[in-house]
Amino acid sequence: MTSRETLALLAVGLPAVTALGVIIVPRRAVQAVALAGLAGSGAAAIALAVVALADPAALEVSDWVVIDAAAGLMVGVIGIVGLASALASPAFLATTTSGLFGSVHGTRAYYAGLAAFVAVLVAVPLAGNLGAAWLLVEATTAASAILVGFSGKPRALEAGWKYLLLTSLGLGFSLLGIVLLASATPGGTLDLLSWRSLAADVPAGDTTLVAFLLIVVGLAAKIGWAPVHNWLPDAHSEAPPPVSALLSAALLPAVLLVAWRVERALEPAVGEDTGRSVLIGFGLVSLAVAIPFLWRPLAWKRLLAYSSLEHMGVIALGVGFATPLALAGVAVHIVGHAVAKALGFYAATPLLGHEPRAAGHAVTGIARTQPGLGATMGISLGTLAGLPPSPLFLSEILVIAGGFQAGRSWAAAGTAVMLALGFVGLAHALVETTGGRARRRDREVAPGLRPVMALGAASTVILLALAAAAFWLPDTDIVEALARGIG
Amino acid sequence: MSGTLAWAVVALGLAVVVVRRRSVAVALVTAQALLLGGVAFAEAENADDATAALALAVRGVALAALFLVIVSRTREPRPVRAGVTPFARAGLAIGLALALTWLVPSIGLESGQSERAMLALVAFGAAVVATRRATLHQLLGIVLVENGIVLGAIELPGGASLGIELGVALDLTLIALVAAVFHERIFAEFGSGDTAVLESLRD
Repeated sequence: MTSRETLALLAVGLPAVTALGVIIVPRRAVQAVALAGLAGSGAAAIALAVVALADPAALEVSDWVVIDAAAGLMVGVIGIVGLASALASPAFLATTTSGLFGSVHGTRAYYAGLAAFVAVLVAVPLAGNLGAAWLLVEATTAASAILVGFSGKPRALEAGWKYLLLTSLGLGFSLLGIVLLASATPGGTLDLLSWRSLAADVPAGDTTLVAFLLIVVGLAAKIGWAPVHNWLPDAHSEAPPPVSALLSAALLPAVLLVAWRVERALEPAVGEDTGRSVLIGFGLVSLAVAIPFLWRPLAWKRLLAYSSLEHMGVIALGVGFATPLALAGVAVHIVGHAVAKALGFYAATPLLGHEPRAAGHAVTGIARTQPGLGATMGISLGTLAGLPPSPLFLSEILVIAGGFQAGRSWAAAGTAVMLALGFVGLAHALVETTGGRARRRDREVAPGLRPVMALGAASTVILLALAAAAFWLPDTDIVEALARGIG
Repeated sequence: MSGTLAWAVVALGLAVVVVRRRSVAVALVTAQALLLGGVAFAEAENADDATAALALAVRGVALAALFLVIVSRTREPRPVRAGVTPFARAGLAIGLALALTWLVPSIGLESGQSERAMLALVAFGAAVVATRRATLHQLLGIVLVENGIVLGAIELPGGASLGIELGVALDLTLIALVAAVFHERIFAEFGSGDTAVLESLRD
């Protein structure tokens, strides 16, 4: 077994074992076991990312597992966010009880669900086979839906039910596409679904095109691309903050990677232009749908949710443009978005402790009474808005430049205009949220603020390092490996 | 699969679209799954195929047991109204099935009847999710979609992959279990499994 395979096994296996462990250990040991297991898993995932990105030309591909630069990048992101979510969980659990599982079993159920969710999430980018990837994406629904409804409150139940139903239905259509694809392959069997065999064996034709569209549209329902995004704002806003962070920063881009792999694998059959145009179409529609909501005064977590819709649109555009510049932008954007968005969701725990009204209404003037919390929220929102020196400012420039480089000038210009509009909306939200008129005068430190501020400091370092890395990334082997894919 | 069996599977699916009672819908979906399991077993060419057929039948029975437990634990004072009349639901479902049949090219399953039956079940499932308000009916819509896809997988000329089929059965069972938890909690919170009460999250 190679070092990559060992690390991949640890990154997936540790959280899976942790999920089982927290079910059987005594109640007082649940949190310690969960945090230790998720810390180990995070370390293994980050180590795998370092190994994969240090030598991006080296590929490990089999019918069931793929460890390439894209998988390394995504596993690293999931490792970081999974670890941070685990660290942010004790503060969240100290402020709430579960209506779904009760106060006795709530903590155990939460950590079991969280560890299971992380285990499946890490496995998604490593799937070397469309069938396995589908199964894992579907499994993330089961693990995460229960966490979305964790509070048991009516709004959480509504969000969880909607998420479960809409994503399952969408993935049903994806599975139909997979069956169509299997029928189109020589021999008509589901055994030939590894990424490489899809690229080599699937013939061109109407069936393949319809199959491709069904698969991507079904996955779009899980990624949260407009117009099949209806579950996204509800689930992100009602889930526990550490889970919202995982949903937005890790789940959405992980499933997007699957959609990208499908597009890359089927390019020879459906045509490069067609495949990429579908992704660009989803990207533009997602931006167009998200921007009006970024201009509205929304509750903090709901604002972050609509920002996820915008950023998944940007990533879709980047992979659709598929030039080295655009792919460098995609890599920076995935990491930058994950760090900033996760931080924003973690800040929701002290925010809701300080001002419970923030669950359903826009908040203003937080920095006036809670400077630490205001600074954390400001770093998150400023980064997500693309305010320089945010790495997302640079990644968006790279994606737009990549669009022009790809000869898709209209799409690139449209992207630039919509991102500018989105920036204005989020910048306004940033000013109002941090420096507007404060509703509460309570200066007592918000509960759960200290771990969030520590995560905020670490996030700031990562974001600044990422902004610096964005300058040299386009000329590196990493981007070349992303452009080459598995083939 | 013979034409008669394909039509029987479709008729069971259409019945799920129109019936009012949850227990009847559960029985229909289970009968459909068992019929598909029987077809898969009859057409099995090796041990893997037979195992996949057995898994399909076990999944059908397990889901039936789960759904009947749900029905017995969450008795509705009166059946949840669908909001759309049975005739309208049937019309929508058939229209959707015809549209899918028209849009999707021939895909080379072992018979044209199987292709049409597969697409009809997917359409019926989507119609159930879109038009029914009862949580259990919506969940049965998802199962109906999966049954349609299972039919397609059975009728693939090269046969389905055992690993994928077992995985799909396991995934669907997990989703059903999680949905059961939600259903019970929604019932406990609102006194009904009517999704019309779940409309507070809007922008």
